[in-house]
Amino acid sequence: MRRRFQAFQQAPWRVQIRLTSGSMLPLIALLIIGGMYLTVNARHARAGRQVLDLQRQQAELLRYNAEMGATLAEMTSPERMYQRALGLGFRYAYPAEIDYILLKDYTPPLPFIAPRPPASTNTGEGMLSPAYTETLGEWLLRWLGW
Amino acid sequence: MATSLAGLVNQVKKVMEQRPSRRRIRMLLALVAIVVLAMVVQLIRVQFGPYAPAFAAIEEIVAEQVDKVEPTRGVIYDRDGRVLASNVPLYYLEVEVRQLTETSKKQIAAVLSRALVLPFDDVYSQLTYEWVDEGQLRIRLTREISGGKRWPITVDQIAADVLKGFLEDPEAPDLSGLSLVPAPSRAYPAGSLAGHVIGFVNQKGKGYFGVEGYYDDWLVGRSITIERGYIPLEARLRPDPPAGVNLVLTIDLDIQQMVEDILKQTIEADNAESGQVIVMDPENGEILAMAIWPPLDPNNYEPWLPPEERSEEESEDDEEEPVINPAVAGQFEPGSTFKVLTMAAALDAGLVTPEEEFIDTGQIEVGGHTIRNWDGRAWGSQTMLGCMEHSLNVCLAYVSSEKLGAPMFYEYLRAFGIGKQTGIDLAGEVSGQLRTPRHPDWTESDLGTNAFGQGVSVTSIQLITAVGAIANQGVMVQPHVVLEVVGPDGVYWPKTTVLGQPISRETAETLTNMLTKSLSGETNFAHVAGYQLAGKTGTAQIPGEFGYDPRWTVASFVGWGPVRDPEFLVFVRVDKPQTSPWGSVVAAPVFREIVERLVIMLEIPPDSIYEGLNLEE
Repeated sequence: MRRRFQAFQQAPWRVQIRLTSGSMLPLIALLIIGGMYLTVNARHARAGRQVLDLQRQQAELLRYNAEMGATLAEMTSPERMYQRALGLGFRYAYPAEIDYILLKDYTPPLPFIAPRPPASTNTGEGMLSPAYTETLGEWLLRWLGW
Repeated sequence: MATSLAGLVNQVKKVMEQRPSRRRIRMLLALVAIVVLAMVVQLIRVQFGPYAPAFAAIEEIVAEQVDKVEPTRGVIYDRDGRVLASNVPLYYLEVEVRQLTETSKKQIAAVLSRALVLPFDDVYSQLTYEWVDEGQLRIRLTREISGGKRWPITVDQIAADVLKGFLEDPEAPDLSGLSLVPAPSRAYPAGSLAGHVIGFVNQKGKGYFGVEGYYDDWLVGRSITIERGYIPLEARLRPDPPAGVNLVLTIDLDIQQMVEDILKQTIEADNAESGQVIVMDPENGEILAMAIWPPLDPNNYEPWLPPEERSEEESEDDEEEPVINPAVAGQFEPGSTFKVLTMAAALDAGLVTPEEEFIDTGQIEVGGHTIRNWDGRAWGSQTMLGCMEHSLNVCLAYVSSEKLGAPMFYEYLRAFGIGKQTGIDLAGEVSGQLRTPRHPDWTESDLGTNAFGQGVSVTSIQLITAVGAIANQGVMVQPHVVLEVVGPDGVYWPKTTVLGQPISRETAETLTNMLTKSLSGETNFAHVAGYQLAGKTGTAQIPGEFGYDPRWTVASFVGWGPVRDPEFLVFVRVDKPQTSPWGSVVAAPVFREIVERLVIMLEIPPDSIYEGLNLEE
């Protein structure tokens, strides 16, 4: 003990270093925690940005599909098809020009059934893992089975 | 070598054993203090400094906002899956006022005025207006339309892609502050084809007339309110609103096109005012085609809007309100086609037979009113078949007044649905007008005139529905235009609704035979080689303010076939033809031309081939 006291008297800068270290330690701890928080938040934000981007892309694609669908419908409208047929030399046939052939076991084409409109989706609350929404206490209770 | 290494180690030991400078530690602490102080000052500046309101505004914008999400409106198809009504994106042009610069204001105005043919000054004035003073930070650009009203500027996908390219290209004109906000819009790729059947949707997304009006609640779906997060940390899965149903119509677009072409040619050739053709399957009531002239293009619906939705200027310009789909909403006196119902009633009641004789003297008095034939002639001895073949008013007035009597006659007309709506799934249907003895304006002469379709008002759909009972073995079915209703949870096929059986099967067969013979006689303009068809012409005078107009008629024809197993029922109506007033001359040839193509489209073989097939089986 005396030897330590003597060493301390001979080298007081060690106390200063210790004081500095002691006061810097909480700051460093805070910085580390802050860094971890920022890292997690940055990843969260990146994921959120991806979600927003994907939602925008989805909306754009749906609008684009709708536009294409309408354009296709317009280009294949009966008036246009009829004009193209006339241009290719076709004309309406008359009953006397039609030949009828009997086909046994002929299966007529199935009637058209329209595509179903999209059903509404859930809010997504029930689809998330509890790990994203519960607190530490709630996790503890869940783990303990209470 | 060993000496120099030992010397180096000694020097390091000496440095390590030296006292650290107090100044260095103080400098380090001061540096840390400065950094922390700078952070605190910056936080105070952000919170309370001159830019604090801007940051607060941004926070307000990107914070969660309650938003109403509209679902996609259902798509309408024809029976073969061709799109009749769909949704296309349009874009509103909105401006974030605080992001505008002097350069971008001018360039936005310049680009929009050139690309969209808008007045530069109008656009520029909207961009330079002091919106912030009024508390508006985001505005929607508008343009002036007729009547002094302003309407939001909308651009289609092509123009939107160009503007988006400008926004993303640093070399392009500076459009800072401009953004494109998508807005759903209705498109009708087939143009005016079946326009009266489809109806239209206005800019606010409300359906009017036709299928769009009748099924508006089903097509529009249900909007929901969500909390929309705009910052990445608030991003989450968004619920979709329940979408509107998709509809498949009974309309066959090929038949519709064919019928509209023929009707248009007829209107032009006869210089008529208007016309209608309805093609229906009498067995199930499916409307295969409903052509109306003048046509309605749902893509240009403004002239057809109800008066309260149009601007004052537009309302003043219109002499009379246009009738959407006169086939269900327009009443007319049917004339001689109505004789089919009178004769059906008399046959079904057992009061006449096809061979029963009648002496036609050229006139008959009913309720003090003298009724004459269409040509003023006396036709002498006629059978009931002859009366139908020659369309004799006197004979039919005799049947209704002397044979049936008022109670039985009007009872049968009610059973045929005259004076009542058919319940067709199109918006705007009216019930027509049938005065019975209970009506205060009814006179006994009505009993005579109603027999041949004057003094009674029907809609085209009422008439074809009633005649459909004769084509369908006495069973009258409800007409409809929707074949399938497709929702998120499944498909619904509306069942055929039987409205009643006004006459027996035997009566229907008897009358069909009469009309088959009559068609091949008087109305050979309606005859189609190889097919047995039944039908009746009609030429009706048009009532006016001072009685019937002697100049104009409604020429019509109703017929069905093939008689062996009717698959189509066609009603043709041409209003005020100028070339000839007669149904046999104007409307009957239209029927023939339509049926000649219809039998091919519906793959109906001629009677001889059909009989040969049956013999083989």
